[in-house]
Amino acid sequence: MKEFFSHLFTPKESNNHRAKILHHANLFLSIVFLLLTSFFIQTVKAKFPSVLGIQVNISSEELLTLTNKERQSVGVGSLIFNEKLSQAASNKAQDMFEYDYWAHNSPSGKTPWVFIKSSGYRYVYAGENLARGFSTAEDVIRAWMASPDHRNNMLSSNYRDVGFAVKIGKLNGEETVLIVEELGNLNMPIAKGKVQEIAKAAKTNVAVKQAVSENREPVINSVSFSSNITVAIVFLFISVLLLDMIIVEKKKIMRFVGHNIDHILYLILIMVLVGILSKGVLI
Amino acid sequence: MFTRLSKHSLYYLSLVVILVLGFLLVYNSSNRSFQIGTVVVTTFFYVLWGIIHHLINHDLSVKIVIEYILIGAFGLTIIFFLLSTI
Repeated sequence: MKEFFSHLFTPKESNNHRAKILHHANLFLSIVFLLLTSFFIQTVKAKFPSVLGIQVNISSEELLTLTNKERQSVGVGSLIFNEKLSQAASNKAQDMFEYDYWAHNSPSGKTPWVFIKSSGYRYVYAGENLARGFSTAEDVIRAWMASPDHRNNMLSSNYRDVGFAVKIGKLNGEETVLIVEELGNLNMPIAKGKVQEIAKAAKTNVAVKQAVSENREPVINSVSFSSNITVAIVFLFISVLLLDMIIVEKKKIMRFVGHNIDHILYLILIMVLVGILSKGVLI
Repeated sequence: MFTRLSKHSLYYLSLVVILVLGFLLVYNSSNRSFQIGTVVVTTFFYVLWGIIHHLINHDLSVKIVIEYILIGAFGLTIIFFLLSTI
C-alpha cells in the first residue's frame, strides 16, 4: 500500500521520476473522473434535494434588520417594511424563474418599475437590488455593501420603504435562490431631522411584519460540499507538484517536463477562484 | 529551484501578472458569464505562456505542450465541477 502511494505521489525510478498522478494518462483520467462525478452529483441533487441541495436560511425580517443596521451606522434613517414592495419583489423573482433570466430588465423589456407599479405602490423614487446563490442574510448584505451600486441603493436617503422576496427555483436548469429587494419612496425625500422619526416607526413595524422567507436545510449543503471537494483535489495536486519538484531538484534528476512552478501558481489561482465562485452573485 | 526562479524572473513575473489580473477581474465582477470567460482566457494565457517559455528555452516538445493543456483543462474542469454542483 505504502509502495502504491509512493509510486502515485512521489517521483522515483518506477514512475520514470515523475509522480504517477502527474502522468498525462492520469491527468486525463482525473478530468474524466471529475466530469463523471459532477454528473452524478447533479443527478443526486435533482432527485434528492432534501439530501443534497442548497442550504438557505434567509428571512425578510433578517434582511430588513441588517439593512437598517447598516443605514443607522451611516446616519441614514431606517427603512419601513412595505407589503406592496414585497409583493413586487416576489412577482419579480417569480418572473425571473418563469422566463429564465437573471437581470434587472426581463427579455421582453419589463423593467423593475413595472412590477412595483403593478403592486399598487405609486413611487416617486424606486430602486432594486438583486442577489443570487447566497445562503444567509448576512452574506447577502455583506455582498451588497461591498458593491458600490448596491451599497448606494441600500444606504440612499431617497428611500423610505422596502420589500423583499427570497425564492428558490430553477434558473438556466440550475436550482438556485434569488433575493430581490425593492426600495421606494411615495413622497419627495424629507429633511434629515424627520428621518429619525421614520427610524422609530420602522422599529415598531419590523417585528409584526414577517414576510417571505426561505429556510431549507438539506442533509448535505451542496455549496460547501462541492467547494470542499474541489479545494481538496486542487490542494492534493499542488502538494504532489511541490513534492515532485523538491525531490527532483534535490536528487538533481534531468527530465523534460513542464515547469511545476507554473502549474502550482496556476492551481493556486484555481483554488482561490473556487472560494470566490462558490459565493453568490449580484447584478 | 531558486536559481531557475531568478534566471527566469521576467517570465515568472509576467505569469504572476497574468494570474493576478485574472483573479482581480473575477473578484471584481458580479457577472457569472464574465467570470467564467475570464477563467477561460486566463487559462489560455497560462498555457500559451508556458509553451512560449519552453520555446525560448529550446526544450519544447509535444509532451510538454500536452502537459500544459492537460493542467489547463484540469483547472477548467475543477471550475466546471464547482459551478455545476453547488
